[in-house]
Amino acid sequence: MSEPLVLGVETSCDETGVAVVRGDTVLSNVLSSQVEAHARFGGVVPEVAARAHVEAIRALTHRALARAGVHPMDLDAVAATRGPGLAGALMVGFSYGKALAWAMSKPFLGIDHMEGHLFAPRLEGPDYRPPAVVLLASGGHSQIVHMPDWGVYEVMGSTIDDAAGEAFDKLARFLGMGFPGGPAIDRAAEGGDPHAVRFPRALPDRPFDFSFSGLKTAVTIYVRRHHQAGTLPPMNDVAASLQEAIVDVLVEKTLNAVEASGATTIGGGGGVLANRRLRARLGEEAERRGIHLHLPAPTLCTDNGAMIACAGVFRYRRGERTPLEAEVDSSLRLGS
Amino acid sequence: MRIVAIETATGATSVALGDGRTVAASAGRADRRGHVGFLVPALDFCFAQAGWRPQEIDVVAVDVGPGLFGGIRAGLATAQALAGAAGVPLAPVCSLDAVAFQASTAHRRIWAVVDARRGEVAVAPYRPVPGGVMRDGAVELVSANAFRGLLEDDPTQKLVVGDWEALPAGELTGVHGVRTGGPRFPSAAAVMEVARGLAEREAFPHPDEVRPFYLRDPDVRINWSDYRREGPWPG
Ligand SMILES: [Zn+2]
Repeated sequence: MSEPLVLGVETSCDETGVAVVRGDTVLSNVLSSQVEAHARFGGVVPEVAARAHVEAIRALTHRALARAGVHPMDLDAVAATRGPGLAGALMVGFSYGKALAWAMSKPFLGIDHMEGHLFAPRLEGPDYRPPAVVLLASGGHSQIVHMPDWGVYEVMGSTIDDAAGEAFDKLARFLGMGFPGGPAIDRAAEGGDPHAVRFPRALPDRPFDFSFSGLKTAVTIYVRRHHQAGTLPPMNDVAASLQEAIVDVLVEKTLNAVEASGATTIGGGGGVLANRRLRARLGEEAERRGIHLHLPAPTLCTDNGAMIACAGVFRYRRGERTPLEAEVDSSLRLGS
Repeated sequence: MRIVAIETATGATSVALGDGRTVAASAGRADRRGHVGFLVPALDFCFAQAGWRPQEIDVVAVDVGPGLFGGIRAGLATAQALAGAAGVPLAPVCSLDAVAFQASTAHRRIWAVVDARRGEVAVAPYRPVPGGVMRDGAVELVSANAFRGLLEDDPTQKLVVGDWEALPAGELTGVHGVRTGGPRFPSAAAVMEVARGLAEREAFPHPDEVRPFYLRDPDVRINWSDYRREGPWPG
């Protein structure tokens, strides 16, 4: 019996992603990034994002099908992100996916975006499996999820203020390093000393939760002091040190969750997991503890259609179907 | 000819199936929200009523605005998917054209109005012609006061149709030669009839050129709280 063939559509934020996946194999994964459209504003503008999605979605879907060599009638199902995300952005891909499925008399599956991230490591190898602890960190989310089995999620910790990627974005903007902040700071940190400045690590008494607002304040004060003293702050050192503070917190809390849950696998998803320092540190710690680490390639860490299709394959196999009346849910919570 | 028409640009959402003159099935509801949940079930219902199958249609007509941005995008995305699956062209229809078409039996100049919010309306003038209306001026985004100015500059007998109730009460009183009429919102049936003209001339744009008709640049305010809203959102 052949594996399910699923089209995945992702439009929750600033990437239009469409992919064709068979089982756990990516046949095509195409993306129309809006980074440049948002860069001049220093952040994602919801109306700009929604406009770009509706302009890209049709051609992108055709490209994904053509690259996969798949005729749409051969699909077993269509999956699209239902939430969480920007409502206006979600509506485009969800409407498109739902109508496409209906017009071809195929099952439709509305997918939780976070579940997509949790499934993404599966696309790179069959040995990623529960019980796992997965660190999800991006511009909009910072969560630690315990996955005792496929489809079973326990959110162990999350951010109490800024998301990790948001902290990168805001700090990069403050430091004049550009948008998106993660890659900008990753580059600026090259050649910098991660221990040059000791920025605060927050919430020592809450083992799985994050907070980045204190770090933001500390960096602001540090840079302002330099300016007031008429000296230039050592930018590479500042970038490397603040990156180290964020990475330290993400790594430590993830390891706390691994210990508490007894998981034997660590997974990762979200744009922040493309950060080289974070990947290296997680690699060292996992190796030291003999834990399997599965971080997808950066292109599968950031938002994409393949992860939505992959979660769609799982839901399809379980016989699930999303009713045609379904709406998007911009504040969808994992497991609800 | 089998036309599917989708209307989501204003406070009334509807779907209609027909040959361009008569309606084989239609469904509608009055709500500024909920387009995503309504559209596909409404299509499903209408196709069952009419005994049509998606593979048998000839064109998908869709209101591309001006009007509610979110509704227009939900309607256009739905239309793109349906047209793509059926392998048929898309016929974009301007909401003001559909509104004016519904008043085409008038013997006056027609000014069509669609609410654009933020104290503005989208307007355009039309004249009745056999079988429909002809736009004879620009589509404009104007304040209520500026609209009054446009009407005062127009010396003919005028009928203002569409969402003129979105204007402040009494805004049009005292303007020479003005009457108001309905219906308030464009219907999918009107979208279907306007699209028939395009279909008969086979004047279809390339589907990638079918874009929402916004009339307004995006609001570029960065709201950092949007990064989280009630819950986390991805990125
Ligand atoms: Zn994401």
